Amino acid sequence: MSTASAAAVVKQKVEAPVHPMDARIDELTDYIMKNCLWQFHSRSWDRERQNAEILKKTKELLCGEPVDLSTSHDRCYWVDAVCLADDYREHYPWINSMSKEEIGSLMQGLKDRMDYLTITGSLNEELSDKHY
Amino acid sequence: MPHHEFECSKVIPERKKHAVIKGKGETLADALPQGYLNTIPGSISERGCAYCGAKHVIGTPMKDVIHISHGPVGCTYDTWQTKRYISDNDNFQLKYTYATDVKEKHIVFGAEKLLKQNIIEAFKAFPQIKRMTIYQTCATALIGDDINAIAEEVMEEMPEVDIFVCNSPGFAGPSQSGGHHKINIAWINQKVGTVEPEITGDHVINYVGEYNIQGDQEVMVDYFKRMGIQVLSTFTGNGSYDGLRAMHRAHLNVLECARSAEYICNELRVRYGIPRLDIDGFGFKPLADSLRKIGMFFGIEDRAKAIIDEEVARWKPELDWYKERLMGKKVCLWPGGSKLWHWAHVIEEEMGLKVVSVYTKFGHQGDMEKGIARCGEGTLAIDDPNELEGLEALEMLKPDIILTGKRPGEVAKKVRVPYLNAHAYHNGPYKGFEGWVRFARDIYNAIYSPIHQLSGIDITKDNAPEWGNGFRTRQMLSDGNLSDAVRNSETLRQYTGGYDSVSKLREREYPAFERKVG
Ligand code: SF4
Repeated sequence: MSTASAAAVVKQKVEAPVHPMDARIDELTDYIMKNCLWQFHSRSWDRERQNAEILKKTKELLCGEPVDLSTSHDRCYWVDAVCLADDYREHYPWINSMSKEEIGSLMQGLKDRMDYLTITGSLNEELSDKHY
Repeated sequence: MPHHEFECSKVIPERKKHAVIKGKGETLADALPQGYLNTIPGSISERGCAYCGAKHVIGTPMKDVIHISHGPVGCTYDTWQTKRYISDNDNFQLKYTYATDVKEKHIVFGAEKLLKQNIIEAFKAFPQIKRMTIYQTCATALIGDDINAIAEEVMEEMPEVDIFVCNSPGFAGPSQSGGHHKINIAWINQKVGTVEPEITGDHVINYVGEYNIQGDQEVMVDYFKRMGIQVLSTFTGNGSYDGLRAMHRAHLNVLECARSAEYICNELRVRYGIPRLDIDGFGFKPLADSLRKIGMFFGIEDRAKAIIDEEVARWKPELDWYKERLMGKKVCLWPGGSKLWHWAHVIEEEMGLKVVSVYTKFGHQGDMEKGIARCGEGTLAIDDPNELEGLEALEMLKPDIILTGKRPGEVAKKVRVPYLNAHAYHNGPYKGFEGWVRFARDIYNAIYSPIHQLSGIDITKDNAPEWGNGFRTRQMLSDGNLSDAVRNSETLRQYTGGYDSVSKLREREYPAFERKVG
């Protein structure tokens, strides 16, 4: 359990990654932050997995690529990805006119930003607690 | 995101790290309040203890169980009935509370004999109930009573009963949240996997972190059943003890209050491979998305869509009636833990309110991350506030309403800020489409209550204005600035549901869906 002892290990501020499509990444990030919950699991390894899997599937959906649904965990990531991809298409119509390559780069930038805000740059001192 | 120092807490400098104001262009990586730390001596916290978190929040909503506290009656009294988690078995768990009534002499000579006698007495008094949970308290933990040994003894003597022991005395954590954690882990360690359930359908879930406040669980389970989903267990509102022993057989954990129950979902994923899906049962769009996600997971999205379409058509015009009248009203969103992030964004989007502050009594930094992420710029976020800080914030922010628990709520009333009970609700349930309209209705009723015309006058002052303006009704107050089009709209209407929106669900017949697998 992380209690008073955790306070001693105050996390240091880390610099944010930079990407040429920063303004658009800001919008997409803000949408996730305001509307989703999957990015805030309680431990860093869970956040890494959630960000990687859900954003990978979101990118595949936006690019019209096949999505792996072979396990129940895949299906669970996929349902969050479907809602996010649909909302992105509706709220940010510019995404519909992007090429696959552009979407790929945009989504990589988004993943880097999300990893920064929720993991590497996060000031949450409980992320590295070994137990749930 | 600068930390915020309260004038009243200047004498407790450590408090500065527990509050921030969300600044323009700033992110979660710039500042985050401290959280889940021991309350600083001198700060009069509004928190509960770890025993309360385990028993009152999570254990007691289980409906077919004798819940007994091993300790003085005071601990028990404070965890009895103050949260309205109803159940469909005549509210057994709310009607009765049990304590071993430990006194000074037991502290000296031990209280194990007393405990055993109480357990047997309670089972005899309620012969139809065969399940029990026992909660450790500070006094009995300190004298070292071995509750497990006594429970084992009784189970040997009475093989028809089953007992769960929760070892979470008041001091076992910084707040009630320590107790949430302890009971999650204790339940999965002791009880999950000890009952094999009957699986009746293709789609099986555990509904986790849902406590059936005024019927929330029953509203959500109604949707699930209409979709042909078997709800194996609810952790724990309106949940049955044996259902919760069978959690290992679900296909999906649907998690509502991650603050109090993510631990068991994480463990169920690691130990039994069950995925965790976090949902929002509050608000039209988040709820619709949640039902859709569960539907998609099982390949039955069409069933979810039919429910969403029907419910939105029925209730949206009523939600919008309130939205028009709540537009721009300032809210301090000061619940215990998870509601600060469940509600922060959606009450702005769907009710037109403006969140000026979020706080959490016992949340962790993870809850602040979620809450601050969902708020707008300028929002004041406070961890574990004390009463003076609460008053100072009300003075500074001048909210139109505060959504909080009943202790700070009563304080707010004294400074004439309307308060709505965010914990036990005023006239819930608030989950579900209809519930969300009831919530909007209660907020509207609180803000525009005609009583404020009178309560705002300080009659202790010699020069208090005289009451002579005539009495204005709630709607006269709320409709003054509305356009004619809105005021006379033929589509928008006030809430038309009944006083009791839950009992009718208990009578409902559900469609039978053919099973794919045998
Ligand atoms: S802190 Fe200890 S004595 Fe006080 S209510 Fe909690 S368990 Fe009982």
